[in-house]
Amino acid sequence: MRFSDLISLIFYNLGRRKGRVLLTAVGVMIGTAAVVVLVSLAVGLQKNATQQLWGISDLTSIEVYPGYQEVAVEAAGSGGKFDGGSSNMLTPSAIEKIAAIPGVKKVVIHDYLQTALEINYGKLQSYSSVVGVNVTDLADLGLEVTQGTTELLKGTAIIGSWIPQNFYNPKARPDDPPVEPPDLVGQTLKFVMIKWAEDGTEIRRTVNVKIVGLLKETRGMADGNIYMQLDETNTYNDWARGKRIDRNKEGYSMLIVKAENPDVVLDVADEINNLGYMANTPQSYLEGINSFFMVLQIIFGGVGAIALLVAAIGIANTMTMSILERTREIGLMKAIGATNKDVLSIFLGEAAGIGFVGGLGGVILGWGASVVLNVVALAYFASQASSGGGSLPTAATSTPFWLPIFALVFATVIGLLSGFYPALRAATLVPVNALKYE
Amino acid sequence: MSNESFVSIRNLTKEYPMGETKVVALDEVSLEIPPRSFTVVMGPSGSGKSTLLYLIGGLDWPTSGSIQVADDEVEKMDENSLAEYRRNRVGFIFQSFNLIASMPAEENVAFPLRFSGIPKAERRSRSREILTHVGLGDRIRHRPTELSGGQQQRVAIARALINDPPLILADEPTGNLDSHSGFAIMQLLSDLHREGKTVIVVTHDPRMLQFATNTIYLLDGRVVSEESYKLATESMAQAAVEKGGTL
Repeated sequence: MRFSDLISLIFYNLGRRKGRVLLTAVGVMIGTAAVVVLVSLAVGLQKNATQQLWGISDLTSIEVYPGYQEVAVEAAGSGGKFDGGSSNMLTPSAIEKIAAIPGVKKVVIHDYLQTALEINYGKLQSYSSVVGVNVTDLADLGLEVTQGTTELLKGTAIIGSWIPQNFYNPKARPDDPPVEPPDLVGQTLKFVMIKWAEDGTEIRRTVNVKIVGLLKETRGMADGNIYMQLDETNTYNDWARGKRIDRNKEGYSMLIVKAENPDVVLDVADEINNLGYMANTPQSYLEGINSFFMVLQIIFGGVGAIALLVAAIGIANTMTMSILERTREIGLMKAIGATNKDVLSIFLGEAAGIGFVGGLGGVILGWGASVVLNVVALAYFASQASSGGGSLPTAATSTPFWLPIFALVFATVIGLLSGFYPALRAATLVPVNALKYE
Repeated sequence: MSNESFVSIRNLTKEYPMGETKVVALDEVSLEIPPRSFTVVMGPSGSGKSTLLYLIGGLDWPTSGSIQVADDEVEKMDENSLAEYRRNRVGFIFQSFNLIASMPAEENVAFPLRFSGIPKAERRSRSREILTHVGLGDRIRHRPTELSGGQQQRVAIARALINDPPLILADEPTGNLDSHSGFAIMQLLSDLHREGKTVIVVTHDPRMLQFATNTIYLLDGRVVSEESYKLATESMAQAAVEKGGTL
């Protein structure tokens, strides 16, 4: 039997029982639509989460820390040798190596001020970490300001968004109202650095630092930092140590490596890890989020699949009924020369055809429902956002191109499988019994 | 196969299970049917005449014995060869026509050609030609429900002829027809015989005998002579009359 004849016969046979075929197909349609809508919703949620994350943190950044290798401590009995010198510090030569990795746009040194530090503003006091960076414009780090400038010159500092909230009045009485976060941009703060001499006497060094910018909230590391020029923090760190620090040996606290684009970030991070340093990227969190949403998609898809399973039982039922009704016809087909394979193909094809028709309807319905859901949900989000603020989701549902194709194939295969047993029964009927069936 | 036989049957037995017991439909039947003959198989219901026809047509399997049709050993064939045998070497005609109600006459006639992989255009031209041959040239697009019983049986005959098989098997072809259209069908079968087909008709309509070149009488699954058949059927009729029944 030719394939084209088989297909035309299958659809001819389905057309003979339009009502029943359509009712059965509606079951498949609902199941397929459920799969399409639910998976679209899961994909949409994932996209939103990714985009929100994209919004709060810069996905091209990699935080690099020195690679502290596991130290081998031999048993005390064998002479207990401690080898602490094998860590990979972020020395200038290490920075050169990292900068040479393909895909790296820029390497920015972050070095913390390593003295005890008291920050005074009028009567207010704060303890915050100061980080020295070797750029003159914080925009190079992807940072933005809400007030002032990102340009960082000698004698100035730019503060993270949470810094003003850290100020308090050390002489406040318990019943005093809490301190309002001061507006620090344009003000001069007193940085009091403290170190102790060998005999225990306290040595203080006070510098005046002008605050030139307040950073926009990043919900990340930058929010709690006070940024200064690296040269200055180097000077203060040398002072605290009492001698010049050998950076070729000790390196810096950390680096921010900017990649050329988000796609290469994970590769660059891997490369840095391979060199023996510790690289951290928001994208590795993203991977975790993605795998969470993968599970969500499977669960949502599974709920839809249950609906499809019910539909599959409907197909099996319809095909069984159909074969009972058409037993004489099957006998006739065999009497005029149909092989068992021909009969099997016809009935399998009819079952798959119901799956296909239902799947097609379900894909259209599910896709349409996703679009409607999107419009409704976005309108709802917009009304929520106007009162609550915050960034807007761009989509509630998202239908990837593979989903309709997959759903259609899946529905057809479900039909094929549920038709298998009835079709096999039809194919193996003894012709004479089928012909005499009443 | 002997030179004079087209169908050669040896010790053919067919048993059906019926609950715990067995029903013997055919009991060691042996017979020869010459080529290009018109054979009428007569017998009361339950005599095994239809079973014989279905076994020759490869629609059922014998319990024992052999069936040879031309060069084919039917009882030894596997499913696929049987399908091919039914498609190309046998044309089957049924009492109840077995047409597909939703298909027009020409598609019913062309239906077997689908299983031979013949393209649509050729299917159509061949089925139209044959429908014209059986006198239904003006009914090709009619559905079975729009045709009389006699016309439906002509469509069924045309379907049996579509692959030009040498052997035509008819199971009570006039059983569902009035006497006039039944006789016309007999004449049509006789025409096929004259055109060179070997025709085997199972019937209990005695009018069919006038077309026969060969007659086989079956009683209780055995082949009997014309005399014993007549004796038996007369005594059965007599018994029925004595019981107050009618013939």
